[in-house]
Amino acid sequence: MVKQKILEVKNSDVTGTVNDFLKNLLKSGKISALLVSQSVPSRKVVFPVLISDPDKLDAKVFAPLLPASTSKIVSKITKFQPSDKPLGVVLHPCQIRALIELVKLNQANLNNIIIIGVDCLGTFSLNTYADFPEKKNPIDFILDDFKSNSDKSEQFLRSACVVCNQPVPINADIIIGLFGMDINKEILIEAVSDSGIKILEDLKLDTFKDVKKREKYIEDLIGNRTKKLAAFIKDKTGNIDIESLTSFFDKCVNCHNCMNVCPICYCRECLFDSSVFDAEANKYVKKSESKGLFKLPNDSLLFHLGRMNHMILSCVKCGLCEQGCPMNIALMDVFIPAAENAQKEFKYQPGKNRDEKVPMVVYREDEYVEVGEK
Amino acid sequence: MTKDSSKNFEPNIVAFLCNWCSYAGADLAGTSRIKYPPNIKSIRVMCSGRVDVVFILESLRNGADGVLIAGCHPGDCHYQSGNYKTNRRVLLTKKLLGELGIEPDRLRFEYVSASEGQKFANVVTDFVNNLKRMGPIKLPREG
Ligand code: SF4
Ligand code: SF4
Ligand code: FES
Repeated sequence: MVKQKILEVKNSDVTGTVNDFLKNLLKSGKISALLVSQSVPSRKVVFPVLISDPDKLDAKVFAPLLPASTSKIVSKITKFQPSDKPLGVVLHPCQIRALIELVKLNQANLNNIIIIGVDCLGTFSLNTYADFPEKKNPIDFILDDFKSNSDKSEQFLRSACVVCNQPVPINADIIIGLFGMDINKEILIEAVSDSGIKILEDLKLDTFKDVKKREKYIEDLIGNRTKKLAAFIKDKTGNIDIESLTSFFDKCVNCHNCMNVCPICYCRECLFDSSVFDAEANKYVKKSESKGLFKLPNDSLLFHLGRMNHMILSCVKCGLCEQGCPMNIALMDVFIPAAENAQKEFKYQPGKNRDEKVPMVVYREDEYVEVGEK
Repeated sequence: MTKDSSKNFEPNIVAFLCNWCSYAGADLAGTSRIKYPPNIKSIRVMCSGRVDVVFILESLRNGADGVLIAGCHPGDCHYQSGNYKTNRRVLLTKKLLGELGIEPDRLRFEYVSASEGQKFANVVTDFVNNLKRMGPIKLPREG
C-alpha cells in the first residue's frame, strides 16, 4: 500500500483537519482511546487527555506546548499491564525518543500502542504559552509563522527547542507531517510501521507526491539546527568550571522538580529523596570543624551530579527539567553539552534503535581492557 | 582531614576494593611488607560492580582528593560482568566530572588480582603522586 498520504486541508483549518482524521480513527474502532493534548477549561493552556468519545475530541495537536512528559504518561498507563485495546498516543518527537528509552528500561510496554508522531515546530514554556504576549493565540501564531517561513516564534521557544535537531519523529507508527508541505492545502499522513499501515490502509486519501520537497526541507532544517546545537554546546562547554558550577546551582532550592518531571528519571523512590545521606550531629560538627564552614542543605551538587550520572546517556534533551525549575536555572546549559558529549563517547543515541540496549547494562569482553592499565 | 596546599600536601584517597581480588591484593602487599604511601582509606566491597557513582561523589565531597576503584581482571569477576560494567560507569563519571570542571583523573579504576601485591602498591604510589601534582580537590563551597 501507499505509505504516504495526504489530508486535504479545508478553510486553512489545519487543527480541524487533523481532528477529523483522529475522530475517524476513534469512530472506526481502529483505536479505542487516544492520548492527545486538549485545552483545559480555562483555555489558557493545553494538557494531555485520554479520550475515548470522538464527540468530545477537540485536540490541539499543533499547540506549541509540552506541559508534562507524555512519554511518562504512557509509561504510567502501560507499565503494569499492556493495554488490551489499541491505544493511540500523539507524541512530540522528543517524547517518542523518551518512550523508547523507557521501554528499554522496562518502564513501558508498547503492545497495542499506536504512536502518532507530529512534526514539531517547537514549544513555548508553560508560562509563555499561558500569558502569550502577542495578539494571536500561540497555536495560530506558530502555524502562521511556519506558513510564512519566518522565525518570529523563535524568541518564544524553550531553549531546548531552539537547538533541537531531531524535530521529525522517529520510531512512530504514523507521522503527521508539516515540514515541506503547503499546510494551507495539505498535511502529510505517513504510515511507518506495520500497525501504522494497517490503520491507514483502507482510508481513502490521495497519495503524497512531493516527497523530494519534504526531504529537502527536512535536510535543511536539520542542518541548520545541528549548526545551532554545535554553537550552543561550544558556547556553554567553555563556561562551566568548578567555580561557575557553584554559582550555576546557587539558586537551587533542592526541590527535585527537575527530576520529577524528567521522563527518564523513573525510579519510584529516588536515592536523593531518601535519608541515606543524613548523618549524626557529631558528623556535621566534625565536617564543619575540618573546613571551617560548609553550606546547608549541602547535597545539591551531589544530587545534580548523581542524577546526571544515572540518566544522562538516555537524556533526550527535551528540556522539561528546565521548564519545571521554579528558580529558572538554565539547566539545558549543562545538560545538553553533557548529554551530547557523553552519548558521543558511548556511541549511543537515545530513542533511536528499539533493539539496542542502554550502554550501562551491556559490555563487550574486549572493551576498555586497557583502562586501568595505561 | 585538613587540607594543605603547600608542597607537603598529602592527598586523601578512598579506595573501593573488591573482596575477591584487590582487597586480597592489598593484603598481600601488606603481609609481603611492600611499601606504599599510607594515603588510602580502604573500603571492601563484594565486587567492583557495587560501586555506584554516589559512593564516588560522597567520597569526594567529604574530603577525598581522589577515589580508587580496584576490581578483578577482565574475565575474572566472580559475578561475570561487574568489573566490565564498572569500567563503563567509571568512563561515564570521568567524562561528567570533566564536563563540570573537576579533574577526571581524580577517579581511577584498576584491575588488581589477589596475587598482585606489587601492582597494588605501584598503583597507589602512582595515584598519590598524580594527586600531589593536582593538589587538593576544588569543590563548590557546599563541600
Ligand atoms: S534531563 Fe531534562 S532534558 Fe534530559 S530527558 Fe530529563 S527532562 Fe529531558
Ligand atoms: S528544579 Fe531547579 S531548584 Fe529544583 S532541584 Fe532542580 S535545579 Fe534545583
Ligand atoms: S568480583 Fe571482583 S570485580 Fe566483580
